[in-house]
Amino acid sequence: MSNPGNIARLGIKELRSLAQEPLLIGLILYVFTIGVYMAATAMPDTLYQAALVIVDEDGSPLSARIKAAFYPPQFMPPRAVSLAEVDPGLDAGTFTFVLDIPPDFQRDVLAGRVPAVQLSVDATRMRQSFMGSGYIQQIVQSEVNEFVQRYRANPMPAVELALRVRFNPNLEPSWMGALMETINHVTMLSLILAGAALIREREHGTIEHLLVMPVTPAEIMLAKIWATGLVVLVTAACALRVVVQGALHIPIEGSVGLFLGCAALHLFATTSMGIFMATLARSMPQFGLLLILTMMPLNMLSGGFTPRESMPEMVQWIMLLAPTTHFIMAGQAILFRGAGLAVVWPQALALLVIGGVFFSISLRRFRLMIGQLAD
Amino acid sequence: MVNPPVASTGPAASAAPVGAGSTSVHAAPRRPVFSGVRAFSYTLLETLELRRDPLRAALALVGSLLLMLIMAYGMSMDVENLKFAVLDRDATSLSRAYALNVAGSRYFIEQRAITDDADLELRIRSGELALAIEIPPGFARDFKRGAPVAIGAWIDGAMPQRAETVRGYVTRLHQDWLVDLAKYRLGHELGAGFATVETRFRYNPDVTSLPAMVPAVIPMLLVLIPAMLTALSVVREKELGSIINFYVTPVTRTEFLLGKQVPYVVLGMFNFLLMVLMAVTVFGVPLKGSFATLTLAALIFVFSSTGMGLLASVFTRSQIAAIFFTMVGTMIPVVEFAGLLNPVSALQGAARVIGEIYPATHMLIISRGVFGKALGFADLHASFLPLALAVPVILGLSIALLRKQAP
Repeated sequence: MSNPGNIARLGIKELRSLAQEPLLIGLILYVFTIGVYMAATAMPDTLYQAALVIVDEDGSPLSARIKAAFYPPQFMPPRAVSLAEVDPGLDAGTFTFVLDIPPDFQRDVLAGRVPAVQLSVDATRMRQSFMGSGYIQQIVQSEVNEFVQRYRANPMPAVELALRVRFNPNLEPSWMGALMETINHVTMLSLILAGAALIREREHGTIEHLLVMPVTPAEIMLAKIWATGLVVLVTAACALRVVVQGALHIPIEGSVGLFLGCAALHLFATTSMGIFMATLARSMPQFGLLLILTMMPLNMLSGGFTPRESMPEMVQWIMLLAPTTHFIMAGQAILFRGAGLAVVWPQALALLVIGGVFFSISLRRFRLMIGQLAD
Repeated sequence: MVNPPVASTGPAASAAPVGAGSTSVHAAPRRPVFSGVRAFSYTLLETLELRRDPLRAALALVGSLLLMLIMAYGMSMDVENLKFAVLDRDATSLSRAYALNVAGSRYFIEQRAITDDADLELRIRSGELALAIEIPPGFARDFKRGAPVAIGAWIDGAMPQRAETVRGYVTRLHQDWLVDLAKYRLGHELGAGFATVETRFRYNPDVTSLPAMVPAVIPMLLVLIPAMLTALSVVREKELGSIINFYVTPVTRTEFLLGKQVPYVVLGMFNFLLMVLMAVTVFGVPLKGSFATLTLAALIFVFSSTGMGLLASVFTRSQIAAIFFTMVGTMIPVVEFAGLLNPVSALQGAARVIGEIYPATHMLIISRGVFGKALGFADLHASFLPLALAVPVILGLSIALLRKQAP
């Protein structure tokens, strides 16, 4: 049915119309280079420079020891404050954590009275609050333990916990940051290029030119998909090579080829989605709003931003319909865990199915649209 | 659609001398500094366009409420329900007790047992397991003898933030288990250690995500939607040709842009009120502080976000580029650099600089302060200054970049 020659030529037309827009090309290059670099180097996913102050009502060697245990880069050097400064400081957000060591703390510890240190946390700081409070508790406990052990023998059973972090042993946040940023841009760009290009043709009336030519709607759609997909895929591949591997020195464990293969499947799904959105929207302003409505959940709920398993079950199920969810899973597995096709085939299959469904729905809607135009 | 400005700027131009600041009394003052009438004609034009495309306004309002619902429920800060499995090479009651200790916590959900090394490798590589625990052969025997033994814990580090949390959980569970063991098997009473840490989460004592998320989602949507609505207002005229009205009539660049901005500010404020209403009613997140302060901040903020849309619109030459420019200029900074998850003080490099000056950062502080911390204007005035400064900067830049002639 579809003529490969037509598809190729129509795709080249798409590439040419993109080449007419230097600003757009500049923006694309910007997001995949500086954009990815900036986002990757910005993200302190692990605790970084948490603002902690200490109210030391004890003034003992033990309290001094606890205070000395907090240092950069996880914590800013803790400042001693008086009790009166605590509330205004938390309100203003000058610091996130307040550790209050009560009077006679050391004496009570040594006497076995198990005194309590009070930790106040500004819970509006989200990730830092939750992660930091755990950290601080651990540090305080281990400092107290070590201090006490100099006075008493250790009665703890000798079972060691050998913790090994696989794939990203130092938990470098830039790895995930770079991958997420690349995937977000791939998704956003393909939605915009495929969808907005179609709307532009309709607004300018150039789609009528296509109507009088011996080409089918399927050919027009396939041409848009391959042209957009190619542009995005090539830029993403360059970003991976130059920025992620080159500038950021992120080691890639698995096969880049397999990753790009998954990216191609992902692009099939997202460009089809873009065309689908373009058939829903009647004008560019509507398309812009639809884009935000889709990009926000795709960006933030696909499991790259916060872990999937912590989301409500409903949201997890719904997000399985989104191509980004599968692409992020596959991308993490391939790039960081060195997984092969044997491991990521379910994600690849899911991308193919999602792409196929979006493609056939938007093809039907696109035919309908063309039909209405012809009337 | 393109006719109103011609029709209305005609009379406006002849009535121009009413404009403030027109100092010249002599011979036909063609350009007063600012004519409210001419600016208003563009307000009228945009309002009409919005009214004739009710779907767009509806999409903006319903869409933002929908997004608020999804985002506030979906984004959760608690890391739990993590999948783990055990490779038990010992298979004694002691080793099983260890696995049960981990499985019994609310953080972890046990998956079917790992059979061998290859299985462990495959399942952690595929991302199925966040944590794999390996108990060595002879674990119980060595333990009873008092010989040193080690339990292996493999954590998937592909998501650093999750891995960090898992590491904390496992360490704590291990410690608890040792304390229990010492108590029941070895007979010494360790108590809960030598000191305890009582943690109090201020402003959100139950550490639930919703009261923390909702005040953050409002500023986010208040950038994205108004910016996108405004982003096409100028470039659309450029692309479809009606910009010629602006080129050939006496309307100034400032009048043109401010006039176009007003309806979107109104829509944005309406949107804001709806979202606050929804936060208080549907989500049950109490508004503890001063509503007037929040509204004032929102008004300034909506001016800056619609200003960003205008900037995108003035800067670009096609609607596609404008959409892309807006997405890059709003969604990425607001999600990553404005302190949504990580405070701006923890960011590094260029992102830190962007975060410091980006208006959404300050709106986020104000929104969280008013909703969560019961603050008012006096406590938050430090955040108002950069918020207010952003408006003239963004608008000034847009006006400077707008050309009164076809390039």
